[in-house]
Amino acid sequence: MQPRTNEDGLHPVFCTIVPPHVLDKLSHSGDARLADPARRTLEADGLRRNRRRLTALAAAPATPTAGAVPVKPHRTLYDCENGTSLPGRQVRDEGQKPTSDASVNRAYAGLGATFELLLSAYGRSSIDGKGLPLIGSVHYGHEYNNAFFDGEQMVFGDGDGEIFLDFTYAIDVIAHELAHGLTQYTANLRYEGQSGALNESVSDVFGSLVKQYSLGQSAEQADWLIGAGLLAPRVSGDALRSMKAPGTAYDDDVLGKDPQPASMEEYVETEEDNGGVHINSGIPNRAFYLLATALGGNAWERAGQIWFDVLTGGELTATADFAEFARLTVAAAGDRFGERGEREAVLKAWSEVGVPTAE
Amino acid sequence: MLIQVTRTGGFAGISRHHEVDTEGREDATEWESLAQEVLAATPDAPPSGVPDGFRYRITVGDRTVYCADPDLTGAQRTLVSRILKEGA
Repeated sequence: MQPRTNEDGLHPVFCTIVPPHVLDKLSHSGDARLADPARRTLEADGLRRNRRRLTALAAAPATPTAGAVPVKPHRTLYDCENGTSLPGRQVRDEGQKPTSDASVNRAYAGLGATFELLLSAYGRSSIDGKGLPLIGSVHYGHEYNNAFFDGEQMVFGDGDGEIFLDFTYAIDVIAHELAHGLTQYTANLRYEGQSGALNESVSDVFGSLVKQYSLGQSAEQADWLIGAGLLAPRVSGDALRSMKAPGTAYDDDVLGKDPQPASMEEYVETEEDNGGVHINSGIPNRAFYLLATALGGNAWERAGQIWFDVLTGGELTATADFAEFARLTVAAAGDRFGERGEREAVLKAWSEVGVPTAE
Repeated sequence: MLIQVTRTGGFAGISRHHEVDTEGREDATEWESLAQEVLAATPDAPPSGVPDGFRYRITVGDRTVYCADPDLTGAQRTLVSRILKEGA
């Protein structure tokens, strides 16, 4: 699937081939505009598997919701004007023309790209599945070296120019923050220890997938870096994290060396950073990279689908450890793809990073 | 009086620790009153914070308190940013 964009950075859902699983989800949408064509397409599909699933869906029709499930994002951007009051002054609402502020426009585009991947690849309307409006604030604080998700919105600092540049430079960082919202509305992984590292890793995975999707890159073509372009020119490093080779993203006099482990043997026990949530996330990050490159093609299609299924499937507990997550990905690969190679590839990926998948 | 600030978390997960010893400083009174204002209004236990938000551990003398972005008071924000910028 090649990314297609129009001037909004979005495209209509049914303009080309839509994967069956997306049609499944749309076919029980409360919106007849979505559900009817999706159902027709599925019914025309000769695959038994899809027919079986469609029957199951029809037997338990979704309660019609008031109004349609939105197929377009509603983005609103605010400018903190270097203060710390949130959200700040509204500067661009959905559908409005680009402003003269590149940070605003980058955040707007990044939120749009994330909405688009969730909808077109996974059939999910926004982070809550119900078209939740997306809110972002830029120019937070003075030379603020960070970006975060406050439970309701994305917040981006300008960076100090010495170590970090504007956090809206990296589309994967924008998508990473939005993915924290996706996790909050689904598995709600507790932000502490291994469940916290999984929360972080899921944000890196979908952050990277949004970047790959928007650039039209296959797993082989992707750089598998998080925050490339965010480090100031004087810093020795490529990015903030490497999913491909955790621990190698930077090595700098001021910043220090990338502390991420690449496997369970190097797991870091620490009380800082909520038990190393940004450190040990390197382990599940690399498992995802190994799976995606073993499967080949577009990472958001099969590897991303397996991760999405686990995150949104309802079985993953909020306090899950790596092993629980890994077991569920094995099961999800089997459920989604049957006895093809995906399940074996998932087992191998977790084995390579030292996370057990046996009960 | 020794004032220490450790910042952890953040998108990059990189920790920073800086401190200022106010003894003998011309602005010692200013630092100490700011530190006392922060101690009076900051809990002893870490707040849950938000994903990718900075966490701060502030130690003044033998007392340690915790706060986290974005819910900082004006005094907390002033103290942590000054210590992280000016401290050793």
